[in-house]
Amino acid sequence: MKLDMHCEMILDEYRENLPLFEKLRSMAMEKLQQCFDENKIVVASLDSRIKTEESLTGKLELKGYKYHTLNDITDIVGIRVVTFFSDEVDVISALAEQLFEIDWENTVDKRKMMEIDRFGYMSLHYICRLPQKLCNDLAMPELNEVRFELQMRSVLQHVWANMYHDMGYKTDVEIPREYQRNMSRLAGMLELADEQFSTIRKDITEYRRKVQSLVANGNFDEVPFNGDTFRSFIVLNPFERLVDKMAAINQAEVYEDSLMPYYNVLRLLNMKTIGDVVRMRDDYSESAYQLALMQLAGTGLDILASSVALQNLCIVYILKKGYGEAGLVQMFALLYGQNDYNIQRAKRNFDQAKRINII
Amino acid sequence: MDIKISQQENKTMVVLNGRIDTSNADQFQQDVAPLMEGENPDIDIDCTDMSYTSSQGLRIFLMLQKSVMARKGKLVMRNMNPQVKEVFDITGFSNIITIV
Repeated sequence: MKLDMHCEMILDEYRENLPLFEKLRSMAMEKLQQCFDENKIVVASLDSRIKTEESLTGKLELKGYKYHTLNDITDIVGIRVVTFFSDEVDVISALAEQLFEIDWENTVDKRKMMEIDRFGYMSLHYICRLPQKLCNDLAMPELNEVRFELQMRSVLQHVWANMYHDMGYKTDVEIPREYQRNMSRLAGMLELADEQFSTIRKDITEYRRKVQSLVANGNFDEVPFNGDTFRSFIVLNPFERLVDKMAAINQAEVYEDSLMPYYNVLRLLNMKTIGDVVRMRDDYSESAYQLALMQLAGTGLDILASSVALQNLCIVYILKKGYGEAGLVQMFALLYGQNDYNIQRAKRNFDQAKRINII
Repeated sequence: MDIKISQQENKTMVVLNGRIDTSNADQFQQDVAPLMEGENPDIDIDCTDMSYTSSQGLRIFLMLQKSVMARKGKLVMRNMNPQVKEVFDITGFSNIITIV
């Protein structure tokens, strides 16, 4: 490629400033990542690059006349944030506005530029500078002057842009109208899909809030039994009284462990609502305690996992409902995997329950 | 109580022999203390010859489990005899530690 003298000067300036660009890239990335961590934001990807000499040469060849100096090219350093949902782009841009100094004159919101009857590249591009509050390197004051581009888009917008870039933009041959139209149709479809994903997420969040409030208000019979509702339910420490009673047998210390492994056991026991779990607790707590009393009294074991209460409740429930040793083996297989010891475990619990007249 | 610790690939192998009770729990804790800081978080404990554990032993296994989890590793106890397994079952510790 042959460039004119003006463009060659810009290219020389680029080569000289590569260490500056690298520092700018790493600082901007670090600050952005730090900001995401602090705000507990998870993105699909966060990438950056410094424009290659080859790419810059190509740009200068095409439209070098537009640039007086290297400073006029704002995408030498580029950062791209890809979000899972399209509405998260606005959150990221709001954070970027707080973090960086935005050059509004050169910033482009391609999402708003699109005509109402057109579909295509939807992305938000901010032209930014590192403000002095973020970086004040006296040895490299240019770090606050040089601009960089921050692209923000959803994962579906990203897919479309990459495909389009790969298939169309990069080739020397102009793409026939019908293929362009197909790409636009796809862009429209992905835009709808993006919107749907965001809507579904909002609906699920709303559903969770509603269910959490039903659980918190004690309307257990109205709450269907599922992973989400069980998680909300156990936050209320529903087995605390039984755990404390069991712990009192040996004045034991209680270690709070997760009750989530019992979710599948309760499903196996056909719990339909959280109310069913509450009834199991209310109806069988005394028997579960008697079983613990028989197992622990005289052992001197003075530490218990809090899950032992639900464990004994499930054992008692299975035996009271007539599922017998086979039912216990199934429960243990769900908790600890299939193994021969589960049969021994089940037999031991069955015999103990018999001795204290639970069955 | 006797304890043997060795490194095998990226895993710490522990072989326990005898009882863990009040008389030797402090020693046991001192013996396993380095495992809570080691480079390899994965620990495999062979309990074939462990005849009993008291609450003190359970507490030490719990500490090990917590330290292993904090380092994103895995603690596995294997070949426990039924009497020791019963101790883990009735205290709910089978729900905390992987026993195979």
